[in-house]
Amino acid sequence: MFSPLLLRAGLRYMLRHRWQGLLALTGIVLGVAVVLAVDLANSGARAAFELSAQQLQGKATHRLVMPGGTLPDEVYVALQRQSGAPPMAPVVNGWVEIEGWPGRLRLAGFDLFAEGPFRSELAGVSSQVGFTTDWLTQPGALVLGESLARALDVAEGESLDVLYRGKSATLTVLHVDSSASAVADDLLLVDIATAKSVLQMEGELSYVDLILDADAEAWIRQRLPAGVELQTALEQAQGVTRLSAAFELNLTAMSLLALLVGMFLVFNAMTFSMVQRRNLFGRLRAIGVTSRELFRMVLLEALILAVLGTLIGLLLGVWLGQGLTRLVAATVSELYYNVSVTALVLDTGSLLIAIALGVLATLIATLVPAWHAARTPPLTTLSRSALEQAARHAVPLWGLFGVALLLIGLTLALVLPGGVIMSFAGLFSLVLGAAMMTPMVIRLLHSLLARAAPPGIWRMGVRDLDRHLSRLGIAVAALMVALSASVGVGVMVESMRGSVNTWLSDLLNADLYVAAEGFDQGAQLTPSLVEDVARLQRVDAISRYRERKLPIDGRRVEVIGAHLAEPSRQGFALLSGASSAWQAFDEGAVLVSEPLAWHLGLAPGDTLELPTVDGPLVVKVAAVFRDYASEHGRVFMDEKLYERVWPGQPLNTLALFARDGDVEAMRREVSELAAEHAIVITSAGAILRESMAVFDRTFRITEVLRILSLIVAFIGVLSALMALQLERGKEYAVLRALGLTRGQIAGLISGESLLMGLLAACVALPVGILMAWVLIESVQRRAFGWTMPFGVDGVLLMQTVLVGLLAAGLAALYPAWRSAHADPAPQLRED
Amino acid sequence: MLRGCSLLMLLLSAWLLTACGQEPPPPAATIRVDEAMGGTPDPDFARAFEPRAFSFPGDHGPHPDFATEWWYLTGNLESDDGRRFGYQLTLFRVGLRPGEAVQDSDWRSNQVYMGHLAVSDIAAGKHYSAERFGRAAAGLAGATSRPFEVWLGPWGLHSDGDFFPLELEAQDDGFGLSLQLLAGDKPMVLQGERGLSRKSATPGNASYYYSFTRLPTTGEVSIGDAIYRVQGNSWIDREWSSSALDTDQAGWDWFALQLEDGRELMFYQLRTREGEMHAFSRGVLVERDGGVHELSPEQVKLTPLRYWQADDGTAYPVEWRLQVPGLELDLSVQASLDDQLMDHTVQYWEGAVDVSGSHAGRGYLELSGYAGGP
Repeated sequence: MFSPLLLRAGLRYMLRHRWQGLLALTGIVLGVAVVLAVDLANSGARAAFELSAQQLQGKATHRLVMPGGTLPDEVYVALQRQSGAPPMAPVVNGWVEIEGWPGRLRLAGFDLFAEGPFRSELAGVSSQVGFTTDWLTQPGALVLGESLARALDVAEGESLDVLYRGKSATLTVLHVDSSASAVADDLLLVDIATAKSVLQMEGELSYVDLILDADAEAWIRQRLPAGVELQTALEQAQGVTRLSAAFELNLTAMSLLALLVGMFLVFNAMTFSMVQRRNLFGRLRAIGVTSRELFRMVLLEALILAVLGTLIGLLLGVWLGQGLTRLVAATVSELYYNVSVTALVLDTGSLLIAIALGVLATLIATLVPAWHAARTPPLTTLSRSALEQAARHAVPLWGLFGVALLLIGLTLALVLPGGVIMSFAGLFSLVLGAAMMTPMVIRLLHSLLARAAPPGIWRMGVRDLDRHLSRLGIAVAALMVALSASVGVGVMVESMRGSVNTWLSDLLNADLYVAAEGFDQGAQLTPSLVEDVARLQRVDAISRYRERKLPIDGRRVEVIGAHLAEPSRQGFALLSGASSAWQAFDEGAVLVSEPLAWHLGLAPGDTLELPTVDGPLVVKVAAVFRDYASEHGRVFMDEKLYERVWPGQPLNTLALFARDGDVEAMRREVSELAAEHAIVITSAGAILRESMAVFDRTFRITEVLRILSLIVAFIGVLSALMALQLERGKEYAVLRALGLTRGQIAGLISGESLLMGLLAACVALPVGILMAWVLIESVQRRAFGWTMPFGVDGVLLMQTVLVGLLAAGLAALYPAWRSAHADPAPQLRED
Repeated sequence: MLRGCSLLMLLLSAWLLTACGQEPPPPAATIRVDEAMGGTPDPDFARAFEPRAFSFPGDHGPHPDFATEWWYLTGNLESDDGRRFGYQLTLFRVGLRPGEAVQDSDWRSNQVYMGHLAVSDIAAGKHYSAERFGRAAAGLAGATSRPFEVWLGPWGLHSDGDFFPLELEAQDDGFGLSLQLLAGDKPMVLQGERGLSRKSATPGNASYYYSFTRLPTTGEVSIGDAIYRVQGNSWIDREWSSSALDTDQAGWDWFALQLEDGRELMFYQLRTREGEMHAFSRGVLVERDGGVHELSPEQVKLTPLRYWQADDGTAYPVEWRLQVPGLELDLSVQASLDDQLMDHTVQYWEGAVDVSGSHAGRGYLELSGYAGGP
């Protein structure tokens, strides 16, 4: 063990150099906190999604569905009357809208008598006398969760109007459930009879849930009517989780970024603290402390620091995580449906990663310098330059290692086949490699700068940077990672925004769009309205659309039967099979969206199977078109074919082209029809604006996280600079004694810092663009199946450089002020 | 006949919780029967004030004007190789509200059905039971008089004719019944005053009540993968009312005994809160030729001899001495199996019994109002 003396020496040092200890601690705390916070926000959002899905799914193992349609009542009624039937629960649900409420809410209708084995929390929401009677006999009786009731401002006994497909229905709050999470926050829970009435589903069920073992499954399969499909819970869950895939991907990328920045912060803090103490180590060695004792002491100290830092970091992370979780929940609510993350989900995985980061990264960061300190002869250890020299020697080695990692990353992401995980692994490797290369690149840039630098203070600053590479290298790398991630994500978002904008503007080229009132895409137009519109004088051409969702290969593919007017056809960006594609379309071939084509490996000329009640319909692929509307995929087919396969389905949307381009005249005509029919008339511009607003909301969280990572990197640079300037107090005193003014000292420090920011930004730009490329070509492609033209925005790049400079400049303010104002005399007297 | 009343009342308050399994029984489910029976049905339901002219087969079907109604079947069966079984199938109809339901949906109904199914495998010492609920809509549950049918999901009674022969079909997870009940020799018994059975002094606190006391029964009992061909005798009680227990009534002990000499004895003891026999307790002795003797509390002496304790600590008297001195009956009634507890939405004990003493026989016993305190 250590002698008490040694421990006291370590402790005294820490106490005398509080600042250094504090800065090292800050690094660890911040790193741990950021990683935990981002992870908590992610798992919170995921948990909210899962809660919602799970509550609807309950303990069901299987589900009976009618692909592309609803399940007739008789299927369930007949099955449940047979002896030996397994537990079954019929469900009727759909999305409704409430005036003045931004999102959609799920109206879920259950038969409580069948619910027992399935969703006991749902079934158990009430225990009051008389509840059952009202629930069953009072049309519109509603149960909802406490937080939703508060948000909607309704209390028990009050009524709530909901809109479904343009029709309004009144629900009455029978019970507000206050038990935690019994009722998900997006759920309006009603009796199945109420749901059937509100959702206009007489004679139909959304699906039937089942609990099946192998025997019961065989029993059911023998009795399945034609067209009814038995799906497993797994297949169902995939459908639900896919809904959030795009969003989750976004969050995962951010988690990764946080982990990287956090790692660098911890490394930075610890390496720094070690470097600073070589002097003490030398003295200890000189008075006879063995290298083993020294090594142990340093590790013990690091461990104490790591544990303390991790603990504080976890607390800070939880606090920060709460804020972020709320933000994520708000975004999810706006984009998908209402969720509220009431309780923070302290996910073991998140905690473990954060703890591992705090403890392991700290120890690893300590290991090399500690080993160095213990091994080197006392005299060398005492020498100031020895470590710098060692660090300088290591630079090319790190650099080579970095290049290798970068190449591995690119190979993983772009060359080797694999899924999104592979892409992310590649991205991670790429950024790590780039960070390792940073000191080498700085050295190269530095040698250029040194040659070009003007004489005087400026040159001194440039030289200094090289001299302090061991201390500053990692801080610069951390800043670089933050900046490059900012560039990478920024370029990706901008490219995507541009692509979506172009795609939408091309596709939405009609003058007006007419849809039935109601938020729902399933809202349907009455045939009489369609006739009326066709008769209008000012309408030159009409495109008609009707749609349904079909399960294809575990994806919920939108199939659209369309009559496309000539200008509508021109709106399609056909990626392949362009020649004669439209002729093939008219003859019964279909247009397949890029994501679907990617996932199913479809090319023009291939065939695609669509499930229908009468068995699969085999269609030929005429062309693949660019589409960002659905990651699940979309299929366009001619109206005539659609009508033949799914007869009698009303239209969902009309696209109108004005005669002689007189949109206003046409709008007046159509508006007159709106008096008789519940329709919404929208211009392409309005749809475009709304779509882009949704797009921007999706990526708002990205913005916040980008800024967060920059702040953390900024603190990293600040702490590195602070520590350095504090250590160099004596050096500045000598400079002051030599005649440098306070201003010159401050200038020196600021100049060095700005140079650091500039260098970080210079490395960050190419790395960021590379990241963006990987994100677009690999991550987006593999996750969603779509491609997009790569567009680098010069303004964004300039911004990044400015942010780098700003961060470095701000970080230098306090150290510069302090060093400039320090009295040189005591510093000089010390030796 | 009163049995079932408490079940129906409790149904309104507590079915949800226990029906939903898994969860531990919530407070509502342990409401004492007498408390639960205190509630009065909606006054707009029809009430039984005076005897009615029964009309069959119509009256075998449902009477939705009344709040509650049941088809209550019990019986003792024996397989070809002498293995003994007891069974119970009860289908309750509950009117949640009087009148027709608001017709906003085909799935809306003011009528709900509850079913209890039980099989006692005496030789194996096992008692199986299950519970179901369903709304009387969309074909999920319901009753018709012509042809006669009562069903709740896969459980049901039906007849191609007016009522007999009656087919009983009820399978649950791991056990089930598939039986045919014949009319036999015994005529229908109208209970109480020409079928009007008064439960308390309050006017209208009465039910319409008739019984078939000995129905030759054949069919199959299934337990697990084993199927037993069985024969024996069943007992059917039909009752409908809109009545409730009086405040001084705590529960009841109900006996339905088929004696080997061809006679049947039915007696229900309404217990007061003090555990005494209530003045409105009633019974009937059915002669071999179908003639009846009404039994009032003064004629009958009931003494519990032995108690069996359920897991929750409730003690049920599973052995009795039943004396009717005026008719020279001194019967010892013993549970064929101690644990025939119906632990569902409401806890009660109902099971097969052996009769010995002055006369031998078999029968069914129901003990209610014991859970949740004396």
